[in-house]
This record gives sequence, C-alpha cells and structure tokens, in this order.
Amino acid sequence: MHVGSRALALLVVFALGLGPLAPAVFAQEKASELENLKKQMLQMEEQFQQLQQQIEKLETKKIQEVEAKANAALESSKKTFASQFNPALSLGIDTIGSYKSHRQAFNPGDGTAGTRDAGQPINNTRPAGADFNLRSAELFISADVDPFTRAYATINASADAANNDEAILSVEEAAIVTTRLPYNLTVRGGRFFADFGVLPHRHDHDLPFVDRPPSLATFVGGEAQTNGVEVSWLAPTPFFLRASGTVGNKLGADFRDGVSDVNSRPIKGLTYMGRLQTYFDINDDNNVELGGSIAETPNAEDVTNSGRFERRLVGMDFKYRWYPLGYGVRQSLTVAGELLHDLGEADPVNGGPRRDIFGNAVRQGAWGGYVYAEYRLSKQWRPGVRFDYFQLQSEPLLVTNSFTLQPASTLNATGHRTDNRTWTAYLTWFPSEFQRLRLQYNRSDRGNAQDANEFFLQWTAFLGSHSHGFSERE
Amino acid sequence: MTLVWCNRLWALAFALALVSSGMARAEEKIYVVTTLPDLADITARIGGELVTVESLAKGIEDPHGVPIKPSFLPKLNRAQVVVVMGLEYEHSWIPALLSEARNSKIMKGNIGYIDASLKVTPKEVPMDLSRAKGELHPAGNPHFNLDPEGGRLIAQTIAEGLTLNFPQHRATFEANLKAFLAQLDAKIREWKIMAKPLQGVRFVSYHQDFTYFADRFGMEYVGTIELKPGIEPTAAHLVELVQSMKTEGVKVVIREPHFSEKVPSQIAAQVGGQVVKLPIMVGGAPEVKTYFDLIEYNIRELLKAAQAAGVAGKV
Ligand SMILES: [Zn+2]
Repeated sequence: MHVGSRALALLVVFALGLGPLAPAVFAQEKASELENLKKQMLQMEEQFQQLQQQIEKLETKKIQEVEAKANAALESSKKTFASQFNPALSLGIDTIGSYKSHRQAFNPGDGTAGTRDAGQPINNTRPAGADFNLRSAELFISADVDPFTRAYATINASADAANNDEAILSVEEAAIVTTRLPYNLTVRGGRFFADFGVLPHRHDHDLPFVDRPPSLATFVGGEAQTNGVEVSWLAPTPFFLRASGTVGNKLGADFRDGVSDVNSRPIKGLTYMGRLQTYFDINDDNNVELGGSIAETPNAEDVTNSGRFERRLVGMDFKYRWYPLGYGVRQSLTVAGELLHDLGEADPVNGGPRRDIFGNAVRQGAWGGYVYAEYRLSKQWRPGVRFDYFQLQSEPLLVTNSFTLQPASTLNATGHRTDNRTWTAYLTWFPSEFQRLRLQYNRSDRGNAQDANEFFLQWTAFLGSHSHGFSERE
Repeated sequence: MTLVWCNRLWALAFALALVSSGMARAEEKIYVVTTLPDLADITARIGGELVTVESLAKGIEDPHGVPIKPSFLPKLNRAQVVVVMGLEYEHSWIPALLSEARNSKIMKGNIGYIDASLKVTPKEVPMDLSRAKGELHPAGNPHFNLDPEGGRLIAQTIAEGLTLNFPQHRATFEANLKAFLAQLDAKIREWKIMAKPLQGVRFVSYHQDFTYFADRFGMEYVGTIELKPGIEPTAAHLVELVQSMKTEGVKVVIREPHFSEKVPSQIAAQVGGQVVKLPIMVGGAPEVKTYFDLIEYNIRELLKAAQAAGVAGKV
C-alpha cells in the first residue's frame, strides 16, 4: 500500500464518515466514539488494501496470460526457421608471432653412415628469426545426426612455410558418435584424436601453451590423430571412472603407419589403444585426476628403414587442482603432467641395428614428459611455467658408463648429451572467454642439436558456438 | 596360495554385493540432480519424501562458470531427472556434462530434462545475438530466481516436470506445490511491505543479475561494474560508471559473493555510498539456507545499506 493511497483512505473516511459526525464529536468529546471512529478508519483502510491487492492480482494474472500467449507465438515462430536444423559452427583463428635465435636442427655429426638425423630440422617447418604464422583457421561443425548419433568435424587450414606459405586444407577430425547405447557405452568412429593421455588429444589452439610440449610432439607427433573405432565406458561407480579402447591405423602424425600401396598390412599392423582415468575430490577446493594410457602396434612398419617392429607407447598423467569455490576468490592453481615411455624401433639409425648377444634385434625405449604449473590470478590473467624432458628414439649406440659399467645412453657420436630439456615461462591474458593473448619464452637445451631461445606471441579468437567439450575442460 | 585368492575373491564379491544393495535401497527414492541450489531447495519442497535432491553447484560459486568436475558425471549418470535454470544460465558447463553422462533420459529435449525457465518471460533479451554484447546472457537475463514471483514459476514448472516423469505421484506433487505457493504468497505480501523503503532506490551491481528483483520491488538499476555480462570492466567504463552514479545520486553498490571486494568498494568510496554483499543463490551466505531465506536476506541487507547510505524512502 502506497503512502498516497493511505492518505486517500483518510480523505474518504473524512468525507463519508467524520464530516457529518464532526459537530457531535466536538460537542460530546467521548473517548469511546473516537475509538469507534479509529476502528472504522482501520477497517476501511484494510478494505482498501484488500481491494488494491485484488486489483494487483487481477493485473498480474492478465499480464501473465498475455505473456503466455506471446511466448507461445514466439516459440512457434522460432521453430519454423529452417536454420534450426543447421549444425553448430565455430571458427578458431590462431596467429603466432615469434622470434627464434636460430632454426633448431640436429648437429651434423661426424658424417658416418646411419646418422639419419644429422642436420635435420627439429619438429618445425617455420623459419628462424622473426616470423608471423597463421597456425590455424579451424572450422568446427557439429550436430545430431538422428536420435541415436551425433557427428562432428574439424577442418583446418594452416599456412606452412614448407608449402610456400600456402594454406593446406586438412580434415583433422570427422567422426560419428553414438548417443543412446545402453550400459554406459559410447562408440566413436571415423577420424578423431585418439583417447591417449591428456594433451595429445587437444587441438593446438586449445593447449595451455603456445606450443605442444616437445616430448609429446616427438613421441606422439602433434595431435593424437587416428582413423578407427573407439569404445568408451563410464563405470557405474559412485566416483568417476572411465575406460576406453581404440583400434586405429596410427597414433598422431605417425609416418610409420605402414600404409603402402604395395604391401598389405597385417591386422597386427594396426594400433591398439587403451585408456583408464579417474578423478577424486579431496575436498570442495582440491581435486586430483589420474590416468594411464597405452598404444601398442604389434607389427608396425618403418617405411624409412623398411623394417618391421613392435612399438609400445605407455603414458601416465596426473592433474592436481586447487580451485576454491566462491567467497570473492577467483584464483586457482593447476599442476599437471604426463610421463611417456616409448618402446620401439628395433632398428636404430646411428650405428646400425642394435643386437643382443644372440644376434636378435633389441628394441630401445625412450622416456619423455612434461610438467607444468599455472596460477590463475584473476578471470583474465594466468601465468605459468613448464618443464619438458625427452630422450630421442633414434638414439646412438649405448655407451658403457665408466663408473657403473652399465650400458647407458648418454653420449652420441659427437659427444653431446642426447636428452632434451625445455624450460618455459608463459603468461595468458583473456580479455573475454572467446579471446586470448599469450606470451611465451622457451629455452631449449637439446642433446645433439643447437640450443635455442624462442619468444612467442599468440593471439587466438573463437567465433560462433565455441563451447568446451568434456575432454577440453580446464 | 589359490585358497587365499579364493577367499579374497569371496570377500570382494561380498563387499560389492553389500555396496550395490545399499545403492539400490538409496535409489528407491527418485534421484534428482539440479544445476543450482535454488532449484534443489524448491524441488525438495515439491518432491517431499519422494525425492533425493542434489545440486551440482554450491551457492557461493559463479553460476555461469562452474568448473566441469568429472565427479558430476556419476551423479548425472544415475539421475532420473535433471533440473536446470535455463535461459542459457548454465551454458558454459552443463551441455558438456550432459553429453558425457551417458543418460539419454536427461538429455535436452527429453522429459527427464526440466527447464525451470519455461514459464518465465525473459527480460533484457538481446535484439541481435552478437558477442559484442557480452557472452553470458544470450537468451535474456537468466537471474529470475531473485524475484519471488520467479520462484512461483520455477515451482510450477518443476511440479509439472516431475508429474510428467512420475504421473503416479501427481497428487503428492500438486499438494506440495499448493502448500509451497501458499507459503510463498504470504511471504510475498510480507516482503512487499518490508521492501517499501527500497522503492526508487538507485543502485549498481557487479553483474547484471538484480534486474527481476529490482523490477519487483521498484528499485532502479543504473549500471553494472562489468562492461557487459561476463566481460571485466575497463578503466574507461569505471570512470563513466562513477560519473553517472554521481549525477544520478546512486549510493548502493551490490557485490555478489563470487566477485572480489576491491572494485565495488573503490566505487562506493568515490560516491560516498555503501557496498552490500548479496547472494544470488541459496547458500551464497551462511544464513541463506532456503529459497525464502534468499529473498528475505537480500531485502533486509539492501534495506540496511540503503538506510546507511541515506537513500531509503520513507514509508
Ligand atoms: Zn548472469
């Protein structure tokens, strides 16, 4: 009830009731009559209030009815748009400006036979010195196919120096995913980033850094692309437990996938992958994620060396997060890493095949991995550091450690250490959820290659319905 | 050796049987998962004894940016019904979870997916969908839960949704809804009288979330600290905001619990006003345990702030 309406009520009381009675009141001055009047006034005020409430009620009801009708009309008009059936589209634009002290390449070595890596560039087709690179203009399309499946595709055009800076169009992913299988199962088929590790199946522009950790770039070869079929299962446990198995023709940018138009590929030439992952909330603010992955190719073909070998890549990953909920704190800490062991290539290059005392080829393992810590200072600012280490698969002969007399792989023909370290510091700025600028410094110390300093500035933007899927979550 | 292993296997099987039978007993109740705690509180009122309700987000979180925790998946996987606020309120986190939960019953478009915004007429619907207008309210302002009349619509939608899923309990849901709405009506009458001094009070908030509340109780929204919903302020924007607050005589600055104190208090100091920390969901303040608490707490704290700033109206 407003102040105004109360005054009105008083006025009404005066006009109707008090006015004619006034002489009597003044004449007799009876307290009881005054009381009566007060009561009357209160009653009338109450009636007024009730009336007003009724009016309000009626009005809101009317408005609601009208609104409901308008809504219904709006909804039906929405449904008639043909674009309702169009798939969701998004475009990611990822541009990198960089300065590198020099082009990283393997040391020339001593020229002896088998030094395959001698003088070759490392993981990189970009020039040394100053550079600008549209790393990717990536189109992402997704939609339901029917009530039982959905499908998505990622089409990437990236300009590459090795191709006169002309963009090469490639289908990074194009896969069909089931949505209604029983027993918590999902099947995915086509070309997709295989469920191996954590960062291997992230697109370049979705990585927490400018570059892919060098260990992953070396062991997996960029994104974990495969062509095949994957079955995944969410365990019906009270805690998160997920398992997947994949059969594909390769893992990542694997040039040794044995595809040749001359030889047929045995079923053992396919790559068999598996992954198990789990997650625990330590409490509301702290949680841990753990995973293990394996990729086994029983009989891979090395096209360059025209030999066959068994390759087994094993990965372990962890992620710890401190993410305090609310209370004005928007800060969080992530510490995560992956450890890989790559066992393969019976036919190492530097110095020819390695054989045991019976003359059989010996497979050689290599270790690699990275760990990073990122601190979110605010919604916009995230500094981080990363350390990456890996050994080379195509490593020279084992040498005997003069102290332990055990064979170890420490030196190559030119006397350099053959393990590779990269120290990284970076700072990411998010002006909004869909735009990101990142500054990064890499110091690479590579065993049998030149060391390098690298500076990057990355500018990334997303157009359209870019929403992070479950596997791209932070 | 084999005997030991056999014994161990038996023990394991026994333990598993115990666990699963325990789970089966717990699931005799209808298991409902809601995105936000207000929905959980209202669903518990409508479902009564028939339901077990759990909210994924907690009241102190940023409801637009709830971290996607894998521990949400087993809950969504088991859920018989999921209740979302709708109007794209949870668009940055719930679609990714639902598509991974392997529970087609609760996928959007199926009856197990209850959208609490169905009866709401959205305010501030963008005329064109451009991200230049911000990123968080593409379907209009989704903070209708802060208006008690919004609570009515939420309750009605949830009751209808539950009835659609479990028609055998229609009578219970209807009776519980009636009781809830009767209580809400009484409260709304009380709140309207209580909030009278807020009429005409001008205010700013960090995020654009008090629109429905302000309209209900006659307050005037002058601006937000955020540039656009979800976009942090620029320096120029803050200068402009303070200027317009001075010309319009704004003395009340609302700060939601998930935003930091710093900028709101700086702005309040510049205009000689008051910062008031207001929850936007149940659980956003320790005293706010139910939906009714939420509305009442916000009115009470705003009254205090308006009085302290000397802008509260006379009744
Ligand atoms: Zn919002």
